[in-house]
Amino acid sequence: MMTNTDSRLTQGQFSFLPDLTDEQITAQIKWALAHGWAVSVEYTDDPHPRNTYWEMYGMPMFDLKDPAGILMEINECRKTFPRHYIRVMAFNSERGTESPAMSFLVNRPANEPGFALDRQETSGRTQRYSIRSYATDKPENERY
Amino acid sequence: MTDNFNGIELDFDSPVDLQSVYDDSNVQEVLNRLDHELIGLKPVKTRINEVAALLLVDRLRQQMNLSASMPSMHMSFTGNPGTGKTTVAMRMAEILHRLDYVRQGHLVAVTRDDLVGQYIGHTAPKTKEVIKKAMGGVLFIDEAYYLYKPENERDYGAESIEILLQVMENQRNDLVVILAGYKDRMDRFFHSNPGMSSRIAHHIDFPNYSPEELLAISKLMLAESNYRLSSEAEAVFIDYIKIRMQKPHFANARSMRNALDRARLRQANRLFQSRHSKLTGADLITIEAEDLLVSRLFSEDNEDENAESV
Amino acid sequence: MDLENKSGSNGTNERYKSGVIPYKQMGYWEPDYVPKDTDVIAMFRLTPQPGVDADEAAAAVAGESSTATWTVVWTDRLTACDLYRAKAFRVDPVPNTGAGTNTEAQYFAYIAYDLDLFEEGSIANLTASIIGNVFGFKAVKALRLEDMRIPVAYLKTFQGPATGIVVERERLDKFGRPLLGATTKPKLGLSGRNYGRVVYEALKGGLDFVKDDENINSQPFMNWRDRFLYCMEAVNKASAATGEVKGHYLNVTAGTMEQMYERAEFAKELGSVVVMIDLVVGYTAIQSMAVWARKNSMILHLHRAGNSTYSRQKNHGMNFRVICKWMRMAGVDHIHAGTVVGKLEGDPLMIKGFYDVLRETHNPMNLENGLFFEQDWASLNKVMPVASGGIHAGQMHQLIHYLGEDVILQFGGGTIGHPMGIQAGATANRVALEAMIMARNEGKDYLAEGPKILDDAAKTCKPLRAALDTWKDITFNYESTDTPDFVPTPTTSL
Repeated sequence: MMTNTDSRLTQGQFSFLPDLTDEQITAQIKWALAHGWAVSVEYTDDPHPRNTYWEMYGMPMFDLKDPAGILMEINECRKTFPRHYIRVMAFNSERGTESPAMSFLVNRPANEPGFALDRQETSGRTQRYSIRSYATDKPENERY
Repeated sequence: MTDNFNGIELDFDSPVDLQSVYDDSNVQEVLNRLDHELIGLKPVKTRINEVAALLLVDRLRQQMNLSASMPSMHMSFTGNPGTGKTTVAMRMAEILHRLDYVRQGHLVAVTRDDLVGQYIGHTAPKTKEVIKKAMGGVLFIDEAYYLYKPENERDYGAESIEILLQVMENQRNDLVVILAGYKDRMDRFFHSNPGMSSRIAHHIDFPNYSPEELLAISKLMLAESNYRLSSEAEAVFIDYIKIRMQKPHFANARSMRNALDRARLRQANRLFQSRHSKLTGADLITIEAEDLLVSRLFSEDNEDENAESV
Repeated sequence: MDLENKSGSNGTNERYKSGVIPYKQMGYWEPDYVPKDTDVIAMFRLTPQPGVDADEAAAAVAGESSTATWTVVWTDRLTACDLYRAKAFRVDPVPNTGAGTNTEAQYFAYIAYDLDLFEEGSIANLTASIIGNVFGFKAVKALRLEDMRIPVAYLKTFQGPATGIVVERERLDKFGRPLLGATTKPKLGLSGRNYGRVVYEALKGGLDFVKDDENINSQPFMNWRDRFLYCMEAVNKASAATGEVKGHYLNVTAGTMEQMYERAEFAKELGSVVVMIDLVVGYTAIQSMAVWARKNSMILHLHRAGNSTYSRQKNHGMNFRVICKWMRMAGVDHIHAGTVVGKLEGDPLMIKGFYDVLRETHNPMNLENGLFFEQDWASLNKVMPVASGGIHAGQMHQLIHYLGEDVILQFGGGTIGHPMGIQAGATANRVALEAMIMARNEGKDYLAEGPKILDDAAKTCKPLRAALDTWKDITFNYESTDTPDFVPTPTTSL
């Protein structure tokens, strides 16, 4: 089990707050849509901090007017992957950014085993560090 | 005095101010606009006023804590082409928005091709994408009966209908669906899709326009682009309309627009030919009888022509 | 002849007669000059010596910062000297100075420099002209470089920020909120082992970065190598404990470039995502480190140590916005640029100007914010401003309001001084930050409702409650010295 504050993964914009309600998620998506950002839903069972590419639950959604459609996708993703980490991302295509503008978790497994820190001692007191998700000891889709 | 009605504290005697709810919604503005931009369509306008009244009263009841399930607003618009279905749908979206029934008030207009895919697994994402774009507003499906092709068992249209039905039932707050098309074909569609039929709360039929209405519509269109008919031309045009209505592919207002576009072309040509004589501003804005009379509709050997090009 | 016209009333021969003539007549004052798109333009605030008129003082500044010396030299005539001469082309009196005010007369002097005067990609060369001898020149009593317009043609010869805001966020996988940092305290005296403890606690508690202070290099109490090893142990442990990318700005400032490279290489070997340098290492060293950082996928943090010696006084030195422009060209990724509400100098409008210079792709002219020129940044990366010095969780709404989202908020005392410990201090800051961003995105008037939003968030977070209670009344309410010239000065704190 993780031993940090609240014993949980702290990636994303709001992971130190209580889990977001659907209403709160809708409000955040509204903010994204108001800026003209495309929104996507992604999931993974390997939350390693360097695991950039979570699986896409469908393509990013462009040109939506209302958050309801995105919430619908989130809920379907939750239904399909109830024990995965699921995050919502917003993409800003403006020149000078052209990169994600938001990222927050909307689902996490009930038990979060966290990560091991592997050390390899080398010369001059230097160590090589490696962070490993405990979950990835098991094959994909059999974790959590 | 306060009484108990169905477990709700309700002051039976206190006055309720429907007028102010009405004023606050600014819905009159949209209704007026609808009245101005659409000639005729009396039954349609009456139905829309009824729908607005229903939503207004519903809003007032909510203010008094008289909760009721949200009324279903899915509709079918039946009628021939060019009878104003799309325009009314756009205004409907605005009315629903002003009465807080939908959150955004936009209209997404689609046909079968936007919803149904070409191969297995293609249809669900396509339909869902359209639904997501329409959420918060109105989804207008033109010629909706093409979604259902009974002659082909494996047609993917059925899959699209399934998804639409689910959303129409479970996400009434998020989306209003309007199905549109010819009356007879829509009737057959609803007959073979009872699930769809039962979820449509309002059937609105768009009648054909009378020749006089079509003339009024045409004059409105001309005025918008700063043209007018001379009085001789007006007399000719009424004849034109009466003949045109009997021809195949008649599409009400749309046919009027096409006829007027062709008249403008002929007017320009006529003016160009007479460019050496003195022209006036009046010449530039006036469609003359001869601009209409050259139409092949008035000659006899047009029986086999495609009516839309006369 | 063209040359004659440009030399004023004197004919060519008169102009180059041996002796001393006014700078204005030497061709450094050209009120009709229209700057070219490729010119570097500098704007100085000048206070002429009594008896020297403003145009002559401006011409003198133009002369001394370009080709002139105190007397006429015939060797000018071996060159295309009309081109190389800087041209003072506009002098405006500064509002609220001169007769009838408490301040002696000051002028804004605009001077254009041809692109050919400068070596490509060299801040050192640019500054040797613009702020070289001229600041000691006797004809001006005081001189301050207020702003510069750098032409796109010249910007394109600079690398710019090694990483930039966008890529930094992508590497850290942190979007849509300010980043959080803290400087390890006490600044001096901790052993490597004790020092790393602070780093670990703060990162595990919720901060994204911890930072070496500017004067932590390699002193008797802690050798740099020890510091790096213990800090990276802390960073990696905290990253494993939270599942987040974490970092510590390892200060590689040292006596020679060779030592700096050695330290930076070691930081890289240990897997750090960021290294740090101080402004006092000099412009050339900064550019070298920026090149190194880009080559090694490293974020380069700059502490602006020393800048207040020349940026703070209003009549002499240079405005910090010019440093911001130079540092964006030189290629740093982070720079300390003020907090508005904290303990260090900073007027809100001026700071908005600094932040815009660092973060926008294009700055329109904005006199209120002290931006005297339109500036296109020619796709140079954006620099992440860092706000540090006397800020705490209770000011979160003000910080986000003034500084926006692309900023690193550094709560040193506000983390380490927390009554429940460093981890709790870090958590308090993170919760306050996330709650405020959430409220902002929900469309709330978070500036007005800030204290309530924080109180609500504190209901489920004891550390935040404690932080709010401990620092509730702390503000630094002093008047700023560097204030805008074109609007009344607002107060620093709310």
